[in-house]
Formats: sequence, C-alpha cells, structure tokens
Amino acid sequence: MKHGIELSVNGDLYEVLVAPNQTLLEVLRDKLGLMGTKRGCDVGACGACTVLLDGEAYLSCVMLAMDAVGKKIVTIEGLAENGTLHPLQDSFVRLGGLQCGFCTPGIIMTAKAVLDEEPHPTEASLKKKMAGNLCRCTGYTKVIEAVMDVAKRTGGQD
Amino acid sequence: MEKEFSVVGQRLPMVDAAAKVTGAAQFTDDLVFPGMLYGKILRSPLPHAKILNVDVSKAARLPGVKGVVTGAEIPDRQYGIVPKARDEYALAKGKVRYIGDEVAAVCAIDPEIAEEAIDLIEVDYEELPAVFDPLDAIKEGAPIIHEGVANNTSFAIRKEFGDVEKAFSESYLVSEDRFYSQAVNHAPMEPHAAVAQYDPIRGEMVLWSSTQIPFFLRRNLSATLKIPESSVRVIKPKVGGGFGQKIDMFAKDFCAAWFAMKTGRPVKFVYERDEVFIATRQRHPMYLTVKTGMSKDGMILAQQFLAHADGGAYNSTAPTMMALSCFFLMVPYRVPNLLYEGYHVYTNKPVGGAMRGHGIPQARFAVERQLDMMAERLNLDPADVRFKNSIKAGEPHPGGFVINTCGFADSVQEAAKAIGWREKRGKLPFGRGVGLGGASFPSGVTNMSHISSGAVVQVGRDGAVNVLSGAADIGQGAETVIAQIVAEELGVPYEAVRVTAADTGITPLDPGTFGSGVTVRAGNAARIAAQSVKKKLFECIADELEANPEDLVARDGKIFVTGSPDISIPFGQAIKTYQYKDLPMPLVGRASWMADTKEPTTLFNEPGNFSPNYSFMTQAAEVEVDTTTGKVKVLKMVTAHDCGRPINPMLVEGQLEGSIAGGMGQALYENVIVENGQVMNPSFLDYGFPTALEVPEMETIDIETDDPVGPFGAKEAGEGTQLSPAPAIVNAIYDAIGVNFNELPVTPEKILKALQEKKQAESS
Amino acid sequence: MRLPKFEYRQPESMKEACEILLDQPSARVLAGGTDLLVNMKHRVETPTTVVNLKRVAGQSYVRKENGALRIGALTPLKHVYRDPFVAEKLPALAAAASSVGSYHHQTMGTIGGNLCQQTRCKYFNQSKWWRSSRPLCFKAGGDLCHVAKKERVCYSTYCGDVAPALLVLDAEVVLSAKDGSRQVPLESMYSGEGKMPLQIERGEILTEVVIPASSANAFSTYKKFANRGSIDFPIVGAAFWTSTATGESRIALTAVDRKPVRARQLEEFMRGKPLGQDCLEAVDGLVTKEARLMKSSIDSLSFKRKLMGLLVKESIKEAMGGR
Repeated sequence: MKHGIELSVNGDLYEVLVAPNQTLLEVLRDKLGLMGTKRGCDVGACGACTVLLDGEAYLSCVMLAMDAVGKKIVTIEGLAENGTLHPLQDSFVRLGGLQCGFCTPGIIMTAKAVLDEEPHPTEASLKKKMAGNLCRCTGYTKVIEAVMDVAKRTGGQD
Repeated sequence: MEKEFSVVGQRLPMVDAAAKVTGAAQFTDDLVFPGMLYGKILRSPLPHAKILNVDVSKAARLPGVKGVVTGAEIPDRQYGIVPKARDEYALAKGKVRYIGDEVAAVCAIDPEIAEEAIDLIEVDYEELPAVFDPLDAIKEGAPIIHEGVANNTSFAIRKEFGDVEKAFSESYLVSEDRFYSQAVNHAPMEPHAAVAQYDPIRGEMVLWSSTQIPFFLRRNLSATLKIPESSVRVIKPKVGGGFGQKIDMFAKDFCAAWFAMKTGRPVKFVYERDEVFIATRQRHPMYLTVKTGMSKDGMILAQQFLAHADGGAYNSTAPTMMALSCFFLMVPYRVPNLLYEGYHVYTNKPVGGAMRGHGIPQARFAVERQLDMMAERLNLDPADVRFKNSIKAGEPHPGGFVINTCGFADSVQEAAKAIGWREKRGKLPFGRGVGLGGASFPSGVTNMSHISSGAVVQVGRDGAVNVLSGAADIGQGAETVIAQIVAEELGVPYEAVRVTAADTGITPLDPGTFGSGVTVRAGNAARIAAQSVKKKLFECIADELEANPEDLVARDGKIFVTGSPDISIPFGQAIKTYQYKDLPMPLVGRASWMADTKEPTTLFNEPGNFSPNYSFMTQAAEVEVDTTTGKVKVLKMVTAHDCGRPINPMLVEGQLEGSIAGGMGQALYENVIVENGQVMNPSFLDYGFPTALEVPEMETIDIETDDPVGPFGAKEAGEGTQLSPAPAIVNAIYDAIGVNFNELPVTPEKILKALQEKKQAESS
Repeated sequence: MRLPKFEYRQPESMKEACEILLDQPSARVLAGGTDLLVNMKHRVETPTTVVNLKRVAGQSYVRKENGALRIGALTPLKHVYRDPFVAEKLPALAAAASSVGSYHHQTMGTIGGNLCQQTRCKYFNQSKWWRSSRPLCFKAGGDLCHVAKKERVCYSTYCGDVAPALLVLDAEVVLSAKDGSRQVPLESMYSGEGKMPLQIERGEILTEVVIPASSANAFSTYKKFANRGSIDFPIVGAAFWTSTATGESRIALTAVDRKPVRARQLEEFMRGKPLGQDCLEAVDGLVTKEARLMKSSIDSLSFKRKLMGLLVKESIKEAMGGR
C-alpha cells in the first residue's frame, strides 16, 4: 500500500508516492534522482549513504523514507550554493581528500554534521566521529586534514 | 635534478574532484535509462556440485519478470583474462565449483521483483566432495574441480636463474622457513555494477561497467556473446575503487548484455556487498617455503621458493600472478641465484585474482620476514643488510631486467632515519618496536600482448585541448596525470585540458588499470601525441619567431625560442596563426606507446625486461603492542619512495597513504574467513578493515630519480607500496615483543598466545 | 537488498502502539532501525506489521526524579552520554553508550532499541541466499542450531554495549502495556534463551530506564574490546561498578552468552573485601563461570575467555587508582 508523502530535500518540497518498505536511500536515488548519496553496503556499516536530517548524520540505507517526513533532509547535492562549493567541498578538492570519490559524499555530509555540532574539534574527536565512514582509497590521512583545515579556518560556517 | 616544470610535479586537484565532492560524478549505478530493467543473479549454495536441473518456470511467470537465463542457454565459450587460463563461464554449465558460483539470472521491472524471482528458481544439485586447501587439492585422489586439470593445478611455474645448490653450499648461513599469507578482499567502496543497452537495428551493444579493463572486457563480451568486437562498446563511468577486483569480466557484465539483447531494453546489474566479498575476486592465500643462503656479512647468495597459491574455483589471472610472484623476487635485492617453483591450485572456494601487488605481497612478506630473522642470526642490522643487498641502476640483472633508475638503497637509509632506527631498534621498552620492509614493483608488465596504449590530442581554435585516452581511471587519478603531462608538453594551463577516456567506441586502445602501468604507458602515449601537435604548431610559426622549429619551447601559455623567453607568442595566437594559414583544424596528434620488449609473451622462455621501469621503496613502521590485550597500534609509518618523478605529488601521497592502510589491514585486521567453503564474514562489519581511528601517522619521503623511460621521468606509484607495510609491521612486532610471526594476519589473539608461550618457555 | 513488504503503523501514543502489538502477534516495534531493518533485509525477521515508535511524543528525555535518573526509551544514545549527570555520575553508562557502533548509530540508535537488540550469530546475521547453504536455523524459523548442532535450541549471543553498564547500575525498566505498566529489574527482561531473548509480554513496550540514586557516587566503568574503534560490536564487553561506601562490587559482561550476564560468583567473592591482589587473582577463575560461551561468532572461545578476565581485571585496577 503506497503512501503519498512530502519530503523536504535540500530546501525543496517533493511529493512522492512511497511504500513503507522503501528506505530513504532508495527514495532519494530511485524516486528523486539524487544519485549523490551512495549505496556501499546497504546495512549501515560503512557510512557511504550518510545524509543530514535536521542537521544530524543519518544512515539513509537503514531508515524508512516515511520516517523522514517532517525533517529537513540535506544531501550532498544541497551543499554547494549557486555553483560555489561549500568550504568542506573546496577543502577536499584542494587538499586531495578523495580519490575514487565513492565514499566522499557520505564523508562530507558526516563532516558537516560534526563541524556544525563542534566547529573546532580536536583531531581525536574528529576521527572518532568520522570513523563510521569507511574509505578504501585514501587511508583517511587527507580526509582528516581536509576537515581539520576547514575547522581551523571557519569551523564549517559558510 | 634541476629541471623545472610548470604543471608536472605540481600538487593539483584531480580533474574530476569537483564533480565527486558535489555528488555529480556518475558511477555505474547512477546511470538510469528509460525502460531500464534490473537484474539479479542466483548463486550456488554448495561448494561443489553437479547441476542436475534448473527450473525457472515459476520465476519466469512472476509478473514483472522480463527474462530468465541459465548456464545451459548461453554459448559454450569460456573466458579469462589470459588466453591460456580461460576456464570460466558467465553462468555455470554442468556444475558449480564454489559457494557463490553463478547459476542463473533474471531481469525484472524493479529490483524487488528481481529479488523475488531469484527465490522462485529451483535447482537440483548433486553434491560432490569438495576440497578447501590447496595442499590437499594438489594430492592424488583429491576431488577434481576442473575436468582435465590434474592435481587441480591449473598453472605451474619453475624458473631457475644461476645455480642455487652451489650457492647454498657456499653460504655461511642457510635458513629455510615457512610462511602463510591469508585471503584478503579488496573491498572497494563501490560494488560491482553494469548497465547494458542494445540497438537491435544496428546490432550494437553498449555496456557501462565499473571495470578496470574496458578493452579486455569488450573482447571477453564479444567472445562469450558471439558478437563481433566492433559491435561492442564498453564505457567506463567513474569507478569507486578497484584495487584489482574489477579486472575480469563478471556475470553482471555478461548477463546485463545478454538481457539487453533479449529484451531490447537497458538492463542494470549491481552486486550486493556480500556478493562482492564472496563472488568476485580476492588476494590469493599462499603457502611459501623460502630457503635463503647468505654470506657471513649478510649478502644474499641464493634463494629458493616453493609456493602454493590457493586459486579458488577459477583461474582469473593465475599465470600472470604466479609469474609476478616469481620474477619480483629478483628486485629490490640482488639475488644472483634463484629457484622458484610455484603452483596455482584450484579449491572450492572464492576465486583469487589480481589484488594490489598481484602475487608479490605474499612473497614479499616471506622474504622481508626471513631477511630480518637471518640478519639476527648473523648478528647484523636489518637495515644494513637491506642496504648492502640493494641492486643498483644499470647493473646486469639475472632475470634480464633493465633497471635504469633505482633509489632503493637511498630509500632504506631515508626510511630508517625518519623512523629513528638507530635510536630505537632493539632499544625501546618492551612492547614498542620498529621494523622495515623493502619492495619494488613494475610500471606495467611489458611482456604480454595488447599491453600498449594509444592517445589522441586535439587542440581547438580557442586553445582548448582535448585528449582521448583509453586509460581507465578508477580513482587513482589517471586522467589527471594525463592532463598534467599534456598541459606540460603543450605549455598550456592544466585547466585547459579535457580528458575523455576509457570508452572503446571513442578512445584508443589501452589494456587497462593493472600492474601499475598507466602513468608510464598511457602517459607516454599522451605525451608523444602532444609532441606531435606541438611539432605541427612549431613548424607553422617558426618563421614568425625567426627560428627553427627545433629551437622552440612551449611553456606557461607561450611559445618562444629556447633561451629567449622574452621573445614569445601566446599559445592562442599561435593557434590563430595556424588557422589563418589555412591549415586544417583541429590540430591533431596521435601516438601509441608500448615498452620495448624482446619476447611477446610472459617471459617463460627466456629472461628479458619485465617492465619499462621499476619503483622502489622502503617502509618503516613503529608499533606499540598492548601486551595485555594483544592489540597492535601502528604509531607511525614512513614510506621512502622512488617513483621517478611524481607527476602529481599530492596524488602520489594519496596512493602511499592508501596503500599503507591496505598493508596494515593485511598485517593486522583482515581475513576472509571460510568454513567448509563458505565465507563467514562477507560484510563491512565482520570483515573489519581499518577505520580512521586505526591508521597511523604517515610520513612520505620522495626519492627522486629521473627515469629515462617514464613520461617526465615518472615510474609507478601506489602498488609497490602495498608490498612492504605488512612485513615492516610484523618486523616491528618482533622488535617490540621478540616473537616471530610468519603467518598473516597477526591478530590480538595470536599475540597473546605467543606472549604466553614465550613466558612459559622463559620460566622453564 | 529490498526490505520485505509490511504494514506500517505510526501510533501517536504508547497505548495505541501496545494495542497494535496485542492485535498483531507478528508485529515488531521500530525505533532507530539500525538493528531491525538490517535483519529484515536479511529476511531473518519478517514482521507483517512494523510499529513506528518515533511519532509518539515525549519518549526522549533524561531527567532526575526523586534522586533516580529516568531515561526515555526513545532517547538517542548521543543524548544519553552527553547528559551532564550521566557523564559525571554514571560513567559506565556514558562509556557504553558512546561505544556503540559509529557516530551515526549513536545519533539514530536509542537506548531502548539498544537494550532490546536482537541476539547475533554468524549463521543468523547473513542474507537469505547465504543461509540457504544449510538448513534454516531454529532462530530463523527452522529446527537446527548450527552452533550447537542440536535441534530446538538457540545459542545466539547478546552483544549490546549498554545492557551490562545498566546492569551494574542496578537499572530497572518500565514495561508499558495498554492498561498500565510495571517496573522490573533490567536483568529480568532477558530470557537467557537465544530464539526469544526478551521476556516481554505481548503488547508490552519498554518505555523507560530507571537508575536508582544509589548507583551514582560510585566508581563505574565499561570496557569494550573490539578490533576497531568504531562500527564493531563488542567481542567482549565488561561493566564494573564498585562502592567504597558499601564494599559492594557489580560486574556484568556482554557478548558472552545469550543475555548480558552478572558475574555473581565473582561479586560474592569480592563482597566486603578491599579491591586488591586477592580480587584480581580470583577473576579469571570465577568470571567465566557465569557465561555459557558458544561459538556463535568468528572469534575463538579461548580468546573471549581471556578477554573476560582481562577486561574485568583492568576495571578493578582502574578502580584501585592505577596499575
């Protein structure tokens, strides 16, 4: 039995028909065509599917789309404004915080949630919060550098 | 080295970094086409069984299912990455050989229906005895996995250089030791995926695939579908990591194409994470017995190897892997006498394939561990032993390698210095230690057919440069490096270069991303193509500068006479001049490049140069062992690394950092655990590779050597550096707690057990 | 992997939620989803009705009432360990909650959900296809336990981090039903049996965790051994609480049995004794007695036994103020 729901994604309201058994990840990708959020494992063990719900980092593959009703969802596509990269995105580009880029949207969304909550984290605190985002390419070194660079400069505030 | 470059050698962001950070970069699963169908594969739950009957009727009748196929219906054409090793069907015919082997596939209008349909397929199996260890599988009487392959040994290699027996008899110390390197999964973040679309009117197939080898994939598809290669176009979208696991055609490629042909609709297959763990590829587990003879002062006189590689159910890259494992024992140390005997043995388990290092990590672990053990027995410093055994550039090589540049000896010294070797080795408190590991790797293998690369460089009216290259960027930055090389050659800004790559319908041939050959091979092709463009331009405008074309230089957006940079023409103006002389536009240059080779096949008949050039590195690790829990914390890893000249130092660092994490995973964390042929931990949760919390402080030291063969002096980076972390770490553990571990991974449990045994031995 | 189909109910009161559970025997409650939804993707849990608890107002709180600390069952783990009182006075709880999974799991996961998580087993937490290599296991609806190789038993393991911490804090839970509620010791909520690990009546929902005032103002700790510092379940987890005032110590372990266990024999031994060498030497012998370790994970039993003693000894040493 499908339900008509309204989802707020990146500041836009979408009316979608969803079945209860559809995850937020499925709806974002398959219904709304927002492919930036990735499916790495589908069971909440890698962080590639991270989106923000009311500013907090959520694993969209282990939540129901219907549970996102009434929340402000932000995906990777919602960070840049009018073609200007968010400081986090810019930092990752400049400092080489990515290679294949598959884990990158999830990593950047998690980093945003972390910096919004704690604008100037210690490296230890940052690593603890980012450790749920797996990466096989970078060895994490430049990922952490890129986030710390933003934390030092602006604390993630645009 | 005083050469100065404008673009090469700069820390530039990847050409597609902005696309990746905004989520705009398209990976295979991001592609959606109208009317697209979704596929799923049915896999064998048994390790070894005859397929008696496959009943797809219920699945076919399920509303929404548009196609079902089994092994019985597909052409009788086996495939494999190397011609002599073709032993695999896209869907099993007659029998299944491992838990995960593909039996049937469906496609349906949505993924949910496809999953349901798979559940409705009924298969009758007749279970056969299975064998899970290569040492058992090789014996007489073991179940035969592939018809006609005696002793389940699909490939054997025996190479001897020099006279090992004589050298052993002259050695002061001869030691024989056994080692084991475990099954490791690449675990790329992006699961394997493919989308196929077929035009029935023109008979043309297009396959988008998360692959490292578009051209080989095209060939395999053509052969197995029995359609001409010219009718198959393979396009590589962004790839979310490969590390070797996306070399080979997979069932998802074949089945997507099959159903696209049958249904006339686009078809997508994406693997689940557990399928990636179980049914793609993994690093071959290997048993190695190494016998080494050394002189009293620690010079290696001879080495003898016996290797058994656990191949799993199919060959994949077996012959290449074994050859690499053998030949790369002859670098970075001088091994004047070598005997290598290696067997690739089938077992009813997941398939071994190419994984970052491709047969060499296992052998390297054994050599580096034994070197430390023998150094101790000889009362010599392991750093000194490595240093003195280092090969040197230009010296004759027993295997026929041509080594033009070699920074190995320097790398030993630099790595040792950076980790504080003299102050720390043998001197830290119990539980802390330092260790070294050395390695070397080819920049692409020379001696195989098809290992050449082409490039086309076009310069348009506005000075914009377009490069067509077959190179397969899987996240390592191949397109970026090519853009930098071309920009440097033409003297244009990096931002002016666009690379279109890895589309067999548009771009020239390239074998793909494996063996670390892309920078040298595709980079050289792009460079020469750019030079060709430059030559045409120079010939056209030489008169304007009152010079000979040979005396012109293109740099920083200008063209000038060498030595007189103040008399110049802007690049854009030169293009206009070319146009106004009514010469045809665009300016096009093309080139193909292949390393010099004497022998066209894999060095089995006579020695020869395996690779255009070789990287060298030493890694030093500092570890802290928690002797209560057995946990090992890697505090710091130093990589001193000779990759010639890094085209992009930031990308090279990224490669080194990533390979350290991978090597550390191999040393301490990772293990594909198999029970009766079944992978017990096929998830990111249970196959726990390191997170951001586990990785050490990393320091990279660049040892520059300007290689004559590589573009702008470059050599490979990123694969060799996954050979040495594991031995460096395990060598450091020895320094920390005095226990020799010769099997990977070294888990907390093993450490606690060893400490307990050590304590008991000391008290008795 | 797609979730199976189900009817989704979103009650706005706990009473309504309880009614649905009474009405639908195979209904399951959904809190954060990080446990149930994964099991549903694997088809080891296939409720026909899923009852979302997140729309019931007022279920997320941490507050003091008459000295006791009351935590709403739907309180995210992040809010539990960030509460100043918890952080300062109930360190075992803060340590345990902040060790669960990853930062994301601590945001999405709730204390109630973590306590009521499904038990785990290497033969159970796998996809449907993976499990088709062997007969359906007892917990998943078949007959055979692949761990014990016996029929009609289940030796899956309880692996939650928060439970042992709450056990040593003498926590009670409020189980709410349609017509009322009851408050019981947390320990009694666990059956000790693998197929149905929770002893909650049909129609009951865990709504509150209550920690008595007497549990604060004492030393407490939770130590988790896992291979990585994030994402992982404990290989062994140990909670320890000790009061210099009463001379009482409490020890609880997780990932060692079908429920979290109190190491009562060891507690008995330690009663009244000062923390010291005697206690430390007794640990290894006594601590493993309370747990029936079975090989339901890829970790070896001998290693788990070692870890049980190790983590408890480390806790005692820490309470003693150093090594």
